Amino acid sequence: MKLAAALLAIIGAAAPFSGPVAKDKDDEHKHHEHGPKAPLPWKTDPFPSTYAPLPRADTLITDATVLDGAGHRLEHASVLLRDGKVAAIGAQIAAPSGAKTIDAHGRWITPGIIDVHSHDGDFALPFTSLDLASGDTNESTDPITANVWAEHSITVQDPSFARALAGGVTTLQILPGSTNLVGGRSVVVKNVPATTVQAMKFPGAPYGMKMACGENPKNNYGAKGRFPSTRMGNVAGVRAAFADAAAYRQKWVDYESGNEDKRPDDDLKKDTLAGAIDGDIRVQWHCYRADDMATLFDVAKEAGFHISAFHHAVEAYKIPQLFVRNNTCAVVWSDWWGYKMEALDGIRENAAFVDAGGACVTLHSDSPWLGQRLAIEAGKAYAAGRRAGLDLAEEHAIAWITSNPAKVLGLEAKIGSLEPGKNADAVIWSGDPFSVYTHADQVFIDGALVYDRADPARRPRADFELGQPAMPPPPVKAGGHAG
Amino acid sequence: MLAKTRKELFLNADKSGSTRIRAEEKHFFFYPLLSAFIRVMESFCLVLFALTVNPALAETMAIVHAKAWPMTDGSSGRLDDATIVIRDGRFESVQPKAAAPAGARVVDAHGHVVTPGLMNANTHLGLVEVSSLDETTDYGVDSGPLGAAFDVQYGLNANSVLLPSVLADGLTRAVTSPASASDAALFGMGAVLHITPGADVLDRAQVALYAGVGGGAAKKGGGSRSAQWLLLRNAFEEGNAYAPKSAGAPRDQLQNSVNVAALHAALNKRMPLVLQVSRESDIRQAVRLADDYHMPLIVLGGAEAWRCAELLAAHKAAVIIDPEADLPFNFDELGARADSAAILQRAGVTITFTVSGNTIHLSHNAGEAVREAAGLAVANGLPYAEALKALTVNPARVFGIGDHYGSMARGLDADVVIWDGDPLEPSSAPELVLVKGVEASRVTRQTLLRDRYAPKKTGDVWPPAYRD
Repeated sequence: MKLAAALLAIIGAAAPFSGPVAKDKDDEHKHHEHGPKAPLPWKTDPFPSTYAPLPRADTLITDATVLDGAGHRLEHASVLLRDGKVAAIGAQIAAPSGAKTIDAHGRWITPGIIDVHSHDGDFALPFTSLDLASGDTNESTDPITANVWAEHSITVQDPSFARALAGGVTTLQILPGSTNLVGGRSVVVKNVPATTVQAMKFPGAPYGMKMACGENPKNNYGAKGRFPSTRMGNVAGVRAAFADAAAYRQKWVDYESGNEDKRPDDDLKKDTLAGAIDGDIRVQWHCYRADDMATLFDVAKEAGFHISAFHHAVEAYKIPQLFVRNNTCAVVWSDWWGYKMEALDGIRENAAFVDAGGACVTLHSDSPWLGQRLAIEAGKAYAAGRRAGLDLAEEHAIAWITSNPAKVLGLEAKIGSLEPGKNADAVIWSGDPFSVYTHADQVFIDGALVYDRADPARRPRADFELGQPAMPPPPVKAGGHAG
Repeated sequence: MLAKTRKELFLNADKSGSTRIRAEEKHFFFYPLLSAFIRVMESFCLVLFALTVNPALAETMAIVHAKAWPMTDGSSGRLDDATIVIRDGRFESVQPKAAAPAGARVVDAHGHVVTPGLMNANTHLGLVEVSSLDETTDYGVDSGPLGAAFDVQYGLNANSVLLPSVLADGLTRAVTSPASASDAALFGMGAVLHITPGADVLDRAQVALYAGVGGGAAKKGGGSRSAQWLLLRNAFEEGNAYAPKSAGAPRDQLQNSVNVAALHAALNKRMPLVLQVSRESDIRQAVRLADDYHMPLIVLGGAEAWRCAELLAAHKAAVIIDPEADLPFNFDELGARADSAAILQRAGVTITFTVSGNTIHLSHNAGEAVREAAGLAVANGLPYAEALKALTVNPARVFGIGDHYGSMARGLDADVVIWDGDPLEPSSAPELVLVKGVEASRVTRQTLLRDRYAPKKTGDVWPPAYRD
């Protein structure tokens, strides 16, 4: 616990969060006399991370093919993980005393995989009739639910987390669903087994705000005879919400700076929207069609916020230059298409074409099945680009599931590549990670070996999976001890 | 996009269907008309088939330097540097290092892998265009009189944009199945497609009778899966008792005359019974049911089939597995595991593949995704040759088209794919696809979009609409 508190203190200094806010009247009065009255509400986190790295040993992994996520491929290379950070990477690295050495001859190393579009935990398995009646993914009762936070829906015992870990996923952004214009806040978690969501939260990670365009909001509310029922209604709804939030934000800024004495009324919806305008909360927008996305780039410009990424972005390949100009990432699948009208034009070259246009592209899952196989997703998208004649290399395409998603989350200084000083999130693969036959052999988060395919003691299982006669028996643990 | 998760589609369909059933009850007097209509349609289709001309040109072709997987009974696997001879659209021979026959058109495979065209054992191809649009989906009836009698063959759309797409991925055959019905558990009858350009994509109709039992569908049985099994058994009893020429149906019959006639015919033909079941208890019930009514059993899904692999093998049941479905998605699928295919095959069960992929891969990516699924099965212990069998000879035999498709045996339709890599890697693709010996175009709606928006075209002043 001491370690957790210390880590929080360290990260808190560099992060936009300033810890829980005291809002009682005495406190407010004190601020009034001695400076700012209160932190801006969207800069606070009332649910602070309690994450602490799992026990770790300094580890030297040798003789591997390394795709470092920063564009390089190294053969017969070593990677040293020390004190939870990447300490060194290169041909010849001496093992520090006390370091554990892993011979990775014939195997591959990549940074930990980052899935920026997961519903693990808020679409928890098993899916039941309870979820069918009212699931935990969408607060679909209003088109603007910026006040809901995905972390409050998360079932940490969802077996999907451990399955994603076995696929090399070390960081996930869990998003609310897509029935609303503004669906609520996302949360970024480290993929470590935990009994509380706070213990999974990535310390210092910016929040995201999930939005959706196109068919989902208009169909969901239109079918109920409610606003919005058209694409133009979708846009009007978003513009109105941001206009309201901008006024609210100004009241808080005036209050904080001392220009205004009256404390603004709290508004959880507008907090999140104001945070998006301020850039503290990153906008993650579900949107498929090129024309829809082009409109929303203008909406964002008008309202004064930045779009971190368009998710699903099936038609991003039609407008790569708009992604470049707006410094926005296209978050896409390798091959999904045809399940709805706005997905009809999906092509397998989408990722490669957006990348060739100079824009940031990321692959994502949106599915607990796909969330186990993001490396194969990257492989498919890479192969499609090569087949279309693009000069792509694996050391470049690996960025689509490592360093580019780190940018989507605003965490590129901490994760996404195996560069000295970055978090020791790494995967040792049994072979080329883009191959369907390859398994993640070992997965490290902050230097801790959190998954080992060969060691039953390092293969986490959720509480739900215990004592279920229908499930495969747990692997026998070494050492012959019971349990 | 979460609204599209796998089972939600079915569950939502159930919900909307329940309201529509009430609306259509008053139309029950149409049954006899419907039955007559179906008979007329059947004879009409037979005439059409008779008029269909085999498109294969009368020529001889030799694919040389092939890394061939003939999939024939006698062959023990791969033949390197093989020559595959095709005459008049059918396989003639596959032999290592053989010379091409005089006058044959020679295609050099350059040492690449060559397989028969692949087969997906469960899709809705030809019955879906855009999944979310009711007017373009024809794979299930969730209201109205049809249960066992529902037959997908009449709704097949040979001009679906999905067909060129899956063909370009190396799929030349596919089972297309009914998904649900207003009846208690019976979905209707599926067909095998021959994925080929032109209007005639039906390979064989009425290849199996489909039904489903499980927790998600229990409402149809009044709230219990016990009731579902009882209703299924009752339906088969009524089918057995049905006498086409008799005056008046038996008393207290639950099945209407259209369905009971279809059941009667299916039972008489010993039509394979595809049961969509996941939980071990339901799989064991499925074995008993199929045994009692003498129908070959095909388990669809079968998340927990590995738990009774020996039983399934002993009863010669086949399983259609989705190797990607390795999660405890619901209480029926708690035992799902990634190595199901390997366990079942080791026990001697005939396996075939399908892949749901959030229902998106099921039809739209039925070619690429089923190869990936087979690759995943190999990654989890299934021998490579067995995975290829599960994509060719196994489904051909299980669905009754083994007399003309499934391997490179002499006389079989020359559906052939030359691959640019390992076909079980989804990143590989066909270099050449032959359907009955004729090269199939690999141009699809997706490749046209790809070419229209290729990065090298970004400098064009004229908008993309002016490009091909």
